[in-house]
Amino acid sequence: MRILATYNIKGGVGKTAAAVNLAYLAAKRGERTLLWDLDPQAAATYYFRVEPKVAGGGQGLLRGGKKGTTLDEVIKGTDFPGLDLVPADFSFRNFDLMLDDAKGSTKQLRKLLRPLEDDYDLVFLDCPPSISLVSESAFRAANALLVPVIPTTLSARTLEQLLEFLEGQARLDGLKVLPFFSMVDRRKRLHLESMAELPTRWPQFLKTSIPYASDVERMGVQRMPLPAYAPLSPAALAYQSLWAEVCENLPG
Amino acid sequence: MEYLIPDGLATEALEREIQEHLFCRVESAGDSEIIYYDTFDWALYSDGGFLTQRGDMLRWTSRRDGTACSQQLEAEPELVRDLPAGPVRARLPSGAENRRLLPMMRIQTKTRLLRMLDENEKTVVRLLLQSHSFEDPLSGRAGSLAARLRLEGVRGYDKERELLRALIEGKLGLGESEGPLLGEALRMVGRVPGDYSSKLDLRLDGAQRADVVTKQILSTLLVTLEANIQGAIANWDSEFLHDLRVATRRTRSALSQIKAVFPEDVVGRFKGEFAWVQQVTGPVRDLDVYLLAFDDYQASLPPELRSKLEPLRDFLLAHYEREQARLAEALQSESFKTLLGSWRDFLQRPVPSSSVVPSAMQPIKAVADGRIRSMAKRVRAEGRAIRDDSHPEELHELRKRCKNLRYLMEFFRSLYPAAQIKPLIKQLKVLLDHLGAYQDLAVQAHHLEDMAEQMQAEGRATPATLLAMGALVGGMLQRQQAARDGFAEVFAAFDDAEHWAQYRALFWTLEADKSSR
Repeated sequence: MRILATYNIKGGVGKTAAAVNLAYLAAKRGERTLLWDLDPQAAATYYFRVEPKVAGGGQGLLRGGKKGTTLDEVIKGTDFPGLDLVPADFSFRNFDLMLDDAKGSTKQLRKLLRPLEDDYDLVFLDCPPSISLVSESAFRAANALLVPVIPTTLSARTLEQLLEFLEGQARLDGLKVLPFFSMVDRRKRLHLESMAELPTRWPQFLKTSIPYASDVERMGVQRMPLPAYAPLSPAALAYQSLWAEVCENLPG
Repeated sequence: MEYLIPDGLATEALEREIQEHLFCRVESAGDSEIIYYDTFDWALYSDGGFLTQRGDMLRWTSRRDGTACSQQLEAEPELVRDLPAGPVRARLPSGAENRRLLPMMRIQTKTRLLRMLDENEKTVVRLLLQSHSFEDPLSGRAGSLAARLRLEGVRGYDKERELLRALIEGKLGLGESEGPLLGEALRMVGRVPGDYSSKLDLRLDGAQRADVVTKQILSTLLVTLEANIQGAIANWDSEFLHDLRVATRRTRSALSQIKAVFPEDVVGRFKGEFAWVQQVTGPVRDLDVYLLAFDDYQASLPPELRSKLEPLRDFLLAHYEREQARLAEALQSESFKTLLGSWRDFLQRPVPSSSVVPSAMQPIKAVADGRIRSMAKRVRAEGRAIRDDSHPEELHELRKRCKNLRYLMEFFRSLYPAAQIKPLIKQLKVLLDHLGAYQDLAVQAHHLEDMAEQMQAEGRATPATLLAMGALVGGMLQRQQAARDGFAEVFAAFDDAEHWAQYRALFWTLEADKSSR
């Protein structure tokens, strides 16, 4: 089972869209895929038309076993074969505090996922923005971090902050960071310049970029992954080539 | 869960009825085709799995618990060993490496998908109304199968699934379908999965007349032989020819070893004709053996010589096409068809009510005892006569004797307690393998020397290649010598007093024979 987390310190960068669309594409290629919506905003859960509710909330999951809930019990199948979801829950907004109370707080997500090792080939963790115990726990669980970056100076700064944070964490040594450009508007000179410049500074940038497109925004109306309703749209094709590139760059 | 839609109930009517009860969205999921693959001898099925192709995805499914894995298919599957590495490839049995994956059945399905929705219009259960037709690629036969209703639950929505299940089983009164589509489709063409095996599995009646039972044995061998003709002609993989040759060899062995059950002129004629089959199928089999062992040949050489052996592979492949064409011609020839036709006629003809052929009317068990006894004694006597300086021909003769003994025990194994005859056959195989290695290495080394000369004459071999072939021959002769040196020890295990006592207990059934040594 390989675990990928989509993450950016900054919100609104196309993180959830990436998690939802890539998870859909992976499942369509035959990978048994689970998407865990860790963001209390519950956007991924909404896209899949699932109620944002986890019996027992985050606390129940952390308690686990007989007294609480196991992850296995709260998984919901989506409309797409091979793709399941752990829905978000409003209580996830306090997940940080709950993790703080739990023993070995940053190992908790990995521990919760372990029993599902044989059930899924791939797990996507859609993380909430900002650096918190939730995101740290996701970093520790993940094999790779997918970081959508809008090609602007401000976004570049958040990537820099993230990389600096990771550098200081010896136990995250094995974590592969895969940044890619998201919400790209080729009419904007700043975007084009940033896309030329940033990869020279961070060569780990993936070659595929995701365009800013109204098709992607319509995911909220359609309530399904983009490639499910507009498989040939430029953005859907971009996600497809992004997924191929991510697969090539995954460790192991 | 899958339910059979009874004959006479139109799927459209069923669909309307379901929609009356449930909030559903109907989607025509369209047509699909699934191809079931297996090796000719059902190696995958016997190993506990199904291999299917849908579009460009290859899927392996466990027969036991339904777990599955998939991998993308880049081209139509051919030999198991050529399938690209991936989760499916990893699940296929290693013993099937050299076999071709054949399409065993194609099933076309028309699907209407009904999605039961909740208030968010989220799918909570899927219902698939499916009508199926099949096509058997090997026989070309086609037809339709019973329509089915498939209930697919969505994880986390168990209540909704149970609700629908109650509707289907209660109100609609449908019964669960038995077994997978493949089984049903195969049944329609008179087959069952696993219906071919090159292994002899005869159930004989020891009290029956020897000529009747011998015909039963030979008929089984004829079925195996005929089953492999198409694959040997098309060269789907090397095992078709191998199985065809083994069935031929066993036929000849049965004809000569189950003595005095048929008139001599019949035996003489068919023995000669099957010898011709063995001869015309020999050259391709030899080339198969070399090509299958080629990687091992290379690996047996020092690393710097390995690549120098490649021209030999090219030489073998260059001859292969011509020899395969000759083989295909022989197997499609009138004389071969006539041979099989008259052989079948003979085997199907009822035995005469009385016969002057000495053993024809004896019970087969007495004949089997006598033949195995006599052959076992002969193996023991000839084996004991072999000294360190014996001529290689003597070991070759002993091998032939051992093979005949093995075939006799395999033909008649159902006449003896399985627990007692099985270890005897197993031990005999050890001796036979040893003698086989000794003989085959000598033949191959000799053949390679001939090929080296031929390659040189045709300008296909550089001195480096000839040196590499020389090293290969040297290695073979060394291993042959080792086999020769180890013979006494392997034979001693056969000649062991305790082991021999087991032979006596099983085959020396008459008092008179018990006293003979």
